[in-house]
Amino acid sequence: MNILVVEDFKELANEVIDYLSKNGYVCKWANSCSKALEEINSNDFDVLLLDLGLPDGSGFDVLKMVRKTQSKMAVIIITARGELDDRINGLQLGADDYLTKPFALTELGARLYAIIRRIHGFTVNDLNIHGFNLQLQDYKVSYNKIPINLTKKEFDIFQYLALNKNRVITRLQLTEHIWGDILEVNSDSNFIDVHVRNLRKKLDKHTSLEWFETVRNVGYRINV
Amino acid sequence: MLPVLIEKVVYKHINKSLLEKKEKFICNLDKQEINDFIIRNDATETYSSFSTLHSEFLQLTRLPKKALIHETIFITEPRIIEEERNDYMILQYDFIYEKKAYRLEIGNSLSEIKELTFTIRFFILIVLFIILAVTFLMDTFYIEYLLKPFNKIIDTKIRRVNEPDTFDHTPINSHSTDFQELDAVLNQMMDRISELFNKERQFIANVSHELLTPIALLKNKFENLLQNNSLDDNAIDKIASSLKTLDMLKKVINNLLLISRIENNQYEANETIDLKELLNNLHEDLKDRMDEKGLTISINLQHNFPFIGNKTLIHILLYNLMVNAVKYNRKNGNITVSDRFLKEKYYLSISDTGIGMNESQASQIFNRFTRINSDQEGQGLGLAIVNSIAHFHHIDIEVTSVPNEGTTFTLLLSNSRKLN
Repeated sequence: MNILVVEDFKELANEVIDYLSKNGYVCKWANSCSKALEEINSNDFDVLLLDLGLPDGSGFDVLKMVRKTQSKMAVIIITARGELDDRINGLQLGADDYLTKPFALTELGARLYAIIRRIHGFTVNDLNIHGFNLQLQDYKVSYNKIPINLTKKEFDIFQYLALNKNRVITRLQLTEHIWGDILEVNSDSNFIDVHVRNLRKKLDKHTSLEWFETVRNVGYRINV
Repeated sequence: MLPVLIEKVVYKHINKSLLEKKEKFICNLDKQEINDFIIRNDATETYSSFSTLHSEFLQLTRLPKKALIHETIFITEPRIIEEERNDYMILQYDFIYEKKAYRLEIGNSLSEIKELTFTIRFFILIVLFIILAVTFLMDTFYIEYLLKPFNKIIDTKIRRVNEPDTFDHTPINSHSTDFQELDAVLNQMMDRISELFNKERQFIANVSHELLTPIALLKNKFENLLQNNSLDDNAIDKIASSLKTLDMLKKVINNLLLISRIENNQYEANETIDLKELLNNLHEDLKDRMDEKGLTISINLQHNFPFIGNKTLIHILLYNLMVNAVKYNRKNGNITVSDRFLKEKYYLSISDTGIGMNESQASQIFNRFTRINSDQEGQGLGLAIVNSIAHFHHIDIEVTSVPNEGTTFTLLLSNSRKLN
């Protein structure tokens, strides 16, 4: 899976590329509109991560060019709030998804995963974690073919942790994933614990959960 | 003033005509006539003649010999002629003819004059009113015509312009250079304003990009750092609290950006909003937090009021009010959402059974960075945003609060006020 990261801030690009490379993606970096177009014209990319504020223009110009020539490439816009009027604007111009800065790398990973599933016609439907089978398409979980009844939020948490296995996921990351980018300052993210507790209770009936780790004061991790 | 003047003129005119008559009479008065009078020598010793309608009379009387002789005088007094009483202006002239004293009286009826002055007054009054009406109409139409370009400038260049972008630069036709200048100056001013607007917008975009990009970097670095298995608990705690601080920083910036974008009119307000649906969604979103505090919520909306505005912003407004109702509520408290219609206006109330505020606190809550209780979390931007959004949508907010009993926020929504 080839990804072109268009971001003028080098260090941020490095962090993103570092994370994506560890997750098995092949990344290239472009720091301006012109470099990005150059790369797009010379290589095939599956996904374009596009920052809007670039030194030689707006990422929108790149997006427009891309949509004129290549319709297959998925585009995720990465932007600071304030550069864009609202979510709809970006999506109307032909972006597949939208992330506001600052974003969690794991959130980027989850969005990428969803987009790639879409591009490839839902061929990667199932996730298997310690005997649990997650059917991503219809939000169903089963253990040894015994269906487990999870709420939407519990499923989302399980899926997010499973997708980012072996990583510590903070409560904040989970909160943002479940409730979206809420503006409320210092929103107490502890009620995510209630859902995790319920999820663990439901999973615990089937097998021991020593791989479902609570990281003290921080968050959770699923180890594989 | 005018009637007095007229009266004066008329009296003067009468006096003059009386004098002329007197002269004529005296001139024509000869021996024969006097003799006629003497020969007649009747008991009354009076010769009088009058016009048929008694408007004028002439009277010659013999005076007792020793009567005082005085010159011409004018008097006004009533006389009875043939049993008809009238006010007369009378010229009295005493003279001596052949050693005998006579008094000549020539009278002119005043009733006629009074009628005349009345008619003149009436006529003048009517003329005055006509002139007044004509001037008024002329002025109105002429001023209307003169000020047509002015009104057009006000209308098209100022009143209808909410956004500098929508400003119409085409010059307004006018015969007067004053208005042309006004128009030109307005155009210049609007150019400057829209330049400032654009600069501000650019600035906001730059600030968000320049500040949020490094925050994104730090956040990602900390998150990557957290994956390091060699970290001890102490380090993990520090990273976690740094991430929390970063999150707070991000939200403060985003909130300030939101306020500044609302105040710059960078949002459109043309969506029809189903408040009931919005509130039910919010209830769903906040369910966990309400359950945690054991709160009961009752949303009973009786009316259907399709409000026109920006859905995202109204969502934020209601979200912030609901979050406050949750945050400042007591355990096992209530939240009540109700509405009513009064005089074409829609009132939406959100009440809690929380800690409440006193009056001085309530007057400050809409200011930025005000917090009522220092032990509560948050940056005091929630209600400042509520205020900005409400102002943007022309929504009035009323706050009633009783300490330790609860607070009610009432929104007064109306679609009509946005039209002007």
